[in-house]
Formats: sequence, C-alpha cells, structure tokens
Amino acid sequence: MYEFDYQNPEDLASAVEARKNADDGLYLAGGQTIITVMKQRLAMPSDVIDLKGVNDLRGICIGDRKITIGAMTTHADVAANENIQRLIPALSGLAGKIGDPHVRNRGTLGGSIANNDPAADYPAALVALAATIHTHQREISGDTFFTDLFETALDDGELITKVDFPIVRAAAYEKIHNPASRFAIVGVFVAVSDDGVRVAVTGAGPCVFRVPMMEQALSDNFSPSALDTIKIDADGLNSDMHGTADYRAHLISVAARRAVITVGSGDKA
Amino acid sequence: MPVISLTVNGTTVRKDVSANLLLVDFIRDNLDLTGTHVGCDTSQCGACVLHVDGRPVKSCTMLAVQADGCQLTTIEGLAGDDDLHPMQQAFRQHHGLQCGFCTPGMVMTAVAFAKDNPNATEEEVRHGLEGNLCRCTGYQNIIDAVIDGSKAMQGVG
Amino acid sequence: MKKAALGQSVRRTEDLRFLTGQGTYIDDIKMENMAHAAVLRSPHAHATLLSIDITEAAAMDGVQLIVTGKDWLAEGYGVIPCKSAVNTKIDGTPYAVPPRHCLAIDRVRYVGEAIALVIADTAAKARDALEIIDVKYEDLPAVTNAAKALEEGAPQIWDDIAGNLCLDYQLGDKDGTDRAFGQADHVVTLNLINNRVTAVPIEPRGAVADYDAETESFLLYNATQNIHANRDTFAQNVLHIEKDKLHHLAPDVGGGFGAKNGAYPEPPLILHAARKLGRPVKWINDRAESLLSDTHGRDQISRVELALDKDGTFRGLRTDTIGNLGAFCATVGPFTATGGSARTQGGPYAFSAMLYTSRAAFTNTAPTDPYRGAGRPEATFQIERVIEYAARKLGFDPVELRRKNLIPESSLPLKTSMGLDVDCGNFPEIFERTLTLSDRGNYASRVAASKADGKRRGFSIAPYLECTGGAPKEFAGVTFHPDGGVDLAVGSQSTGMGHETALPQILAARLGISQSRIHFTQADTNATPHGGGHGGSRGLEMGGNAVSQSADLVIDKTKQLVAHLLETSIDDLSFEDGLFRATSTNKTMSMDEAIEASFADDLPAPFDPEFLNTGSSFERGIISIPNGCHAAEVEVDIETGEVSIDGYWVIDDFGTIVNPLLADGQVMGGIAQGIGQALCEDIVYDQDSGQLLSGSLVDYALPRADRIPRMVIGYYEDAPTAKNPLGVKGAGEAGCVGAPPAIINAVLDALTEFGVDHIEMPATPLRVWQSIQTSKSMD
Repeated sequence: MYEFDYQNPEDLASAVEARKNADDGLYLAGGQTIITVMKQRLAMPSDVIDLKGVNDLRGICIGDRKITIGAMTTHADVAANENIQRLIPALSGLAGKIGDPHVRNRGTLGGSIANNDPAADYPAALVALAATIHTHQREISGDTFFTDLFETALDDGELITKVDFPIVRAAAYEKIHNPASRFAIVGVFVAVSDDGVRVAVTGAGPCVFRVPMMEQALSDNFSPSALDTIKIDADGLNSDMHGTADYRAHLISVAARRAVITVGSGDKA
Repeated sequence: MPVISLTVNGTTVRKDVSANLLLVDFIRDNLDLTGTHVGCDTSQCGACVLHVDGRPVKSCTMLAVQADGCQLTTIEGLAGDDDLHPMQQAFRQHHGLQCGFCTPGMVMTAVAFAKDNPNATEEEVRHGLEGNLCRCTGYQNIIDAVIDGSKAMQGVG
Repeated sequence: MKKAALGQSVRRTEDLRFLTGQGTYIDDIKMENMAHAAVLRSPHAHATLLSIDITEAAAMDGVQLIVTGKDWLAEGYGVIPCKSAVNTKIDGTPYAVPPRHCLAIDRVRYVGEAIALVIADTAAKARDALEIIDVKYEDLPAVTNAAKALEEGAPQIWDDIAGNLCLDYQLGDKDGTDRAFGQADHVVTLNLINNRVTAVPIEPRGAVADYDAETESFLLYNATQNIHANRDTFAQNVLHIEKDKLHHLAPDVGGGFGAKNGAYPEPPLILHAARKLGRPVKWINDRAESLLSDTHGRDQISRVELALDKDGTFRGLRTDTIGNLGAFCATVGPFTATGGSARTQGGPYAFSAMLYTSRAAFTNTAPTDPYRGAGRPEATFQIERVIEYAARKLGFDPVELRRKNLIPESSLPLKTSMGLDVDCGNFPEIFERTLTLSDRGNYASRVAASKADGKRRGFSIAPYLECTGGAPKEFAGVTFHPDGGVDLAVGSQSTGMGHETALPQILAARLGISQSRIHFTQADTNATPHGGGHGGSRGLEMGGNAVSQSADLVIDKTKQLVAHLLETSIDDLSFEDGLFRATSTNKTMSMDEAIEASFADDLPAPFDPEFLNTGSSFERGIISIPNGCHAAEVEVDIETGEVSIDGYWVIDDFGTIVNPLLADGQVMGGIAQGIGQALCEDIVYDQDSGQLLSGSLVDYALPRADRIPRMVIGYYEDAPTAKNPLGVKGAGEAGCVGAPPAIINAVLDALTEFGVDHIEMPATPLRVWQSIQTSKSMD
C-alpha cells in the first residue's frame, strides 16, 4: 500500500474541511472496499480521512413513516436492529446477506453506496424503497443517486451523513450469490408502498436499475404470474465467467418472481 | 506517524505506526503475535480474523490506526489463564483442524458466533462460517466442533 | 494411562500449538538482519524480453540487490530438472524438456513467470521497487489450450520443440482392444475435459534462506514438501554445490496438496541472494502470486471409448488424452497425464483389454504438476463418466451396469492391462454397502418432494480404484535419551495430515511406551539421511512402515539387553503389550524399564547407552491399491442452475486403519476438493491474451462450509494388504478421486428429463442452466 497522510477528524465540519484541503483525499468508512483497493495499489490517495470519530454519522432513528440510518452504521447493526427487522425486514435481511460476518462488522451503509459497486446489495434497496440520501450539503433521491459503474451523484468531497428509508407496506429482496465473491450475480428488491410497486435490480448491469414493465404488471396484479410474460433484454447487462448477459436477464425474472412470492407469503425476507 | 493506543489480550499497547500499516501486520510484526495468519489478498479466507471490541473482523482489511482505542483479542489471548478455551478444546476433540493455518481465524469466528447464536443449527453454523475458508478438513469436523464448543461455553453438554 | 494402540482415534499432539497460535509457519520465521525479496512476474503470456532496466529500482532507498535472468545465467547456475518416470516417446526417443531456469532469460512464456528478484530491507520496499523496473516486451501470439497447441500453425512455445509436443505415450493392450472393439455389440464414445484447478493451500508458498560464509553452507527454511529431493535439486542441479552444504528443512506447513511438492525457482534465487548479500532473505507469495505461479493440476482433454456387449458386459476401454503441461515441464511434468493417468484405467471393473494413449503439450500457462490424486482422479472420472453415458444412451440402469461389471473378489489377485497389481479388495461388497448406506428406499419420495418445489433430484454411485505412489524408500530413526525422551525422526512429511501424532502412535503402540514421551521430527535433511517427503498418499504406507520396521528392530535389540539383564536367552523371551517375559522363569521387564536400564554405567559391551538407537530404511515392493465407493444425491434448482448436495456417502478400503479420526479427516478433505472441482473451481485463462482470469479468490471459487454436505463415511477393513507389513493402503488422495464423478453423474441424473447427457466441470449454475437451455432448444 502506498503511503498517505492520515486524518482523524472528530466532527462533520472537520471531516469535510480535511477532505477539501487534501490534494487527493479519500473518506474512510468501514474500509472493506477501499482498503482492499489500496492493498492492490489501485488507489493512491494523498490523504485518508477516517470517519470513525464523527459521531453525527451514527445512529438508527425510527420515525412514523421512515427509518433513518446513519452513514457509518455497519451492515451487522442494520441486520440486527429489531426495529428494522419489524418494520422493513427486507432491509435488515439484505444487510444480513452482504459479504460475510466479518465484512458486516466493519462495512457501512455510507461506504457501500458511495462506492456503488455494480454487484453491491444496498443500491437495489435504496432505489426500490425510494430512499433519500442526506449529505452534508443537500438531499439526493435514491432514483438519482446511482449514476453509472462505480459512480454516484455525489460531488467531489460531498459526504453522506444518513439515509431515510420510507417504511413501505411490504418488501422482499432476493439475492442470487456469485459463488466466489458472495456479491450479487443478480439481486432484485421488490417494494410495495402507497405510491405503487417498485422493482430494482442490482448485479445485472453496470448500475442498479428499475424494471418499469415489471412494476406496471405488478401494480395491476401483484402475483408471480404477472411476471410470466416479461422477458428482460440481455443487451447491456454484465457478462463474465460467472454469468453471461442472457443468464443474468433470466435470473432477474427468477429473482423478481421469488421476491414477489416472499412478499405474498408474508414471510420475513 | 500516528500514535495508537489499544489493549491487546488484556495488555495496553502504545505504538507509533505508519498510517498504511494493516492491523494484521501490526499484530504479527510489531507485536510478534504470529498466530493470526495471512492467506489471501481479497478478504476471502478469514485466516486473519481476530476480535475488535468483541466483534470478529478480518484484520487484513483494517488499518492499525482504525484500532486506536479498541480492545483486541487474538488467538493467543483467547484461553486467558486456561490451557485451552472450550472452543479450542472442542476443535481438538473433533479433529477440526489439519494443517492449522486457517484455524486461529476459524476459532475466533466460532467463538464470536457461538456467543451470538448459542443454539445454532448445523445449517446456521455453516452460514456463520461463510467468511472462513478451510482447504484441509471439508468443514464437517469444524461444524461439530463449533456446536460442541458452543455448548461447552454455555456450561452445558 | 491409556496406552496408544493402532486403530485408536488418538487426538493430535500438534493441535496444541496450532490452536493457540503457537505454530511456526514460514512467514513466522524472523531472522536477525533479514532482508525481503519480491518477485517480478511477467504480465504477458508470451513475449520476447527485449530489455530489463533496473537502474531506477536499484537506486531506491532500501533496495539491496536485483537479480535478472542475465545475471542468473552469468552466475552459471543450472536448470531445474524434470524427474518424470515416463521420459521417452513411444518411439523410444527422449522426451522434449525445455530448460527451466529460475528466471526468464530472453522470453516469457506464461503470465506469472519470474523475471527478476528484488531484495530490499522491507517487503514493502521490495514491492515498491518492482513497480519501477522497466521491462520492454515484444508480444508474441499465445496459446492456452493444449489441443490447439498441438495443431498445425499454433504459436510455438519453444523454438526447438516442434509442435509443442513433449512426448506421446501408450500403455496397455493395443491388439486386445482392437479385437474387443471390433467384436463388441456397442461402442460408446465420450469426449470430456478434466478442468484445470489449483491447490490453494491457505498458506501461500514462501521460504527463508541464509548463508554462512565461514562454512560456505546454506540454510533454507521452506514451506515445501519433499525436503530431501528438493535439497538435492537445489544444491546439485541448480547451485552446483555439495548436498551437505545445504541444510533444508520445513517448518509447520499450511497445506500443500501437491502444489508444494515440486522444486520451484524462488528458493534457489533467495539462496543466491543470501550468499551475495551476506544476510538472511525471506520471500513469501501473496495469494495472487500463488494462483499465478503455484503449479496447477489436472487440465486433460480426453476421448473415452467403451466397448460392451448387448447384455452390458464390458469388453474394452480406450482412452486418448491430451495433457496440458504449461510452459515448462514441472518437477514430474508429463508423468501425470501419461503413467499417472494410465495406471488405474478401467477402475474396479473387469476389462479384458484396455489401452491408454496420450500426448503432453506445452502451452502459455503455468506449469502443471501433481495435485491430490495426480492422474487417478482423471482416470476415475473417465471410466465413471463413460459408463454413465453408455448406460443412458443404451438404456441400461446405471447402477446395474456397474454392479454387473465389478471385478469379483474371487478374481483377485489380478494384473490389469495397465500392469496394475490389484492384490485384494471386495469391490462388489463395498458397492452394495454403499448403496445400503445411501437410503435408496426413500429416494422416490425425495425426488417427488424436490419436483414439487420446482427442483430436480439426482443420484449416482461411483466406485473407484486408487493406487499410491511417491518415493519408494523411507527412513525412520529412533533415539532414546536418559531423561526418558524418545526422538522419532522420519523422512516422510505431514502438511496437516497428522503424522506428528500417527507415526509416534505406531511407535508407542509397538514398543508399549507412552506416546507423550516421543518427540517427532520430520522434513529436515539433517535429521534423516534420506527422505521421500510427501506425495502419492505415502505417509502411512512409507513413513508408517518405516517406523514400524524400526520399532521391530528396537524390540530385537532390547530383547538382547533384556536377555542379559534377566540372565536368560533371547529365545526364552516373549514380548507383548510392552512387556518382556522370560518363559522359563516368568520374570518380566517392561520396555520402559529396559530403556531406563540401557543407560546404566555398568553394562558390558555391546550395551552402550546408544545401543538401542536405531535407524532403518523401509523399501516398498509394490504400490498398494486403496479403493472404495462414493455416492451422492443432489438437488438442482433448474431456474438458477444452482446445485446443492443433499447426501454424500463413502465406504473406503484403506486396509489397516491406524487412526480412524485422521483417516476420516483425509477422506473429507479430499471429497471437499473433489466437490470444489466438480461444482465451482476453475482456472481460466483468456484464450487470446493468456491472461489469468481467475486470478484471485474473488473469481476462483473455493467451496465454503455451506457448500460441502455432511459426509457419511465407512470403512471396509476385511482386506488388509500384504504388500506392506502394516497392511495399509494410502488414504490421503482417495476422497478427491471419487467425488467428481459422483457429483457430476448425480447432476446429470437430475437433468435427465431435459435430455442433458454431458456437462463439463465445473458444473457452475451458469453451465447447468445453459445445458438445460441447449437441450431444450434441440427438441
């Protein structure tokens, strides 16, 4: 790993300031992605700004209509939180499927979404639940946050502080694992709210995307059979040794149907 | 160079470290605790697992500076004053290790898992170990060891 | 205190240090003033090395030395030889062995090939320096597939090795098979691939070298197997020094499975560096380097032909294979795809005639060498797949077709067309017991339940025939100390298999002394005059028998002493359960007492304090024939292609079982690796660029705890072999031999309704799904 200057700010303003002043700075949340990247010498930041001391970024807040999760909340804490388990079990379930137990003890919500790995799980949840991402300077909707492969709507130095997750009527997340990496080959998050049905897909393309055809079909008739005739176009989907584009297109249908069945059964997902 | 202060196996440690020093290298090289091992570069294998504030983490994917102010337990400190921790004893009894290289990380994961999941089924144990790779045993004896070790930790069975 | 006995599941001595983090593995070794080495590895699969500019790198702070291929050549060091037992072509001419220098000289031939060695004060600095070594390459076309490498017009890996062919090979009965195939009612042909995999011991390779200028001798700690053989290679062949000038030893080794058997280029490189710098040098691979540069396993393309009568009786078997050697012949190079895969052709089935032919080809990939099983998994996969394929094609029940053709006990001993001496065993009995163990009775209801759940269930049974191998000579030395300690030094080597417990267990059981007195040493050229290390499941067969033999010699010597002390003749003495008894007087003396007495001052010649110390070499006559039967039940999610293993049963015949707990461990570990190859492990090179696509554990999928099923294991112990005094048949590799066909045939069984009759390994979810789609589209 290359050398860098290490900053350990104690509040939000200092963190943002330290990042601004760095030649080529990087925020360090859980480190589960960035430390691996730095070990492989694929990133060479001049400064690493550790967020572990910024308490404003922690905490899980349960509201009437939404759950607000601090950016530095670990996947393990989201998975184990009894309120999230009760109110949005698909979300706590998703967090409990990320990586492995050790990764979940360190990896954070903010770190994960800021990175926008195409095979990460959280992006599907934020889009399907119509989440709102709070940064230190504005709010960004889940729909507009994830823009492209490893890219987000964040400005340079913009720091995620927390994410609001609307409490929906029902939701489920179906993940088909990559056997080696445990990331999602395909992950589909289905959410039913008062505003309708949302279907968000991760793992299949360069970035999370919604499937309007499925959303429409499920709005008309929320049942697995509503998806029977919908075929996803493989064009533009990821292809690698673990899954061709065709296969991924097929798995989207499979995962979507299974998520719908889980919602329908009332089981925790 | 940042100075870190932390507790390792009950002993306070205070050292100057490079910011880019991995926690596993700090443990192995600066503290000479070589029981924690490095088996891969992509956080897959789990040979480097130790406890940070009671939670099992992959020390190859943490910087030493991130452990400032924390309480660490490594395999060397697991048994405390005893010869063997009940989980270590269970691993021996069930032949849950062969070459021993993955073992410290496996045992540290198992101890934390058992604390959180005292009555886990075999299936739950297998999932609980998804972050640890073993190439020698085929896992079966490890599963049996974890189930028995867990009971022993609770003082039952 | 409970005394050790053969057949007891004695808990392991080595566990105490492994469980508490007190093991000493290669990266735990720190020496004063130690420098660190890093290897510059080729990023190209095939290229001319135009130039290497080390000026900037050498000037970096902390960098002590950089060695390039040209430097290495100038030193006059030799090449690493290939020691394949099969070393001639069919026409009798020698096989083609390219020179294997420790560094690339003017051309690189696989991604990962060592180009230069950098030594610096710290490992980090050495790696920093790697990045600024300026190497200029000229790309050459690459070929990674062995069949393509043999085709006209393929890129030539070595200028003077025409057509990339190392050798061709034939074993068996050509006339007999021609006749059998001519006369048979049916001939079934199946083309299949045994895919390339790699051992992935969780501990990567590494070594620490030191040089003593005063004695002009080297010390090498090495995470390796085959300490003596590799010492000879490094000393005599490469460095051109006397053997006794290199002290070679292994600390605790974190797994090997064959990948740590061979002679690699890095140890001689750091030995040279240690001498040049006058300080110890450590080198450790990281996982990416390990996947690139460890020798890989398997990688055979085969055409298998089965000739059978209309009643299902097997008449003949013909297998033709192309084996992928990689860019070089590794330590045994072409042996695996030739002799290694020929020996157990036909498995435990009766064949009047068999023929095995193969060619070994060079490609722009990492060299291949033995990986657990080394040829026998390939042979077993071939016969079990072609039988299954034939059964389905011709309408035979796959279980019945096997049962019908298993060699009956009454036919043994026999010698197969391959020259394999199958001395004992009861293949039909083991087959039936395995079926019984696997709960066929309730299978139909499980099939129905799976189907109702949108899944498909499949079953298969895979009998296997194994044979052991490895060096045929082994040494065991026993030394007694006045404080009661007993040293046992052996030349065989455990890298997790438990010899530290099992071998003292044999000594303790034989002598009737406490196992805790015994201090075990292995893998050290100073500790034993010779040693065969690890490989071919030889640990108990060779190490165990050497220990047993030395124990018997100790007993003979002790009898002499006891005869003197009890004032009787040797013939008058019996020895049982650690006690000598004089029949005439009924006086007794325990082994413990006799050992203690041997240190008394007042004993006459020849009873000096070293009298009982004994070392002996055991030589194996012929290899043993482990065998058994695997059965697997799988459930396939036909929507995703994911396969889960719902049942796994195995009965093995390993002859005498010394320590059942350890035997189980070997079986389960081998099965897990076999499952890995069958379902998820694959070394994949890009066909055009030769880049290694499966270069990390993010892509090379090792099975985790939730992928391996609960395995039910039994032993058949009614056929101990007379081929060695202990009656053991080597157990270490058998799990890996039987598992792949059991899994693949079960998956195919599950996919019967879709008309899928073949699938290549690994049967990943993608492949399973694709096979269903392909078959559907052919309807």
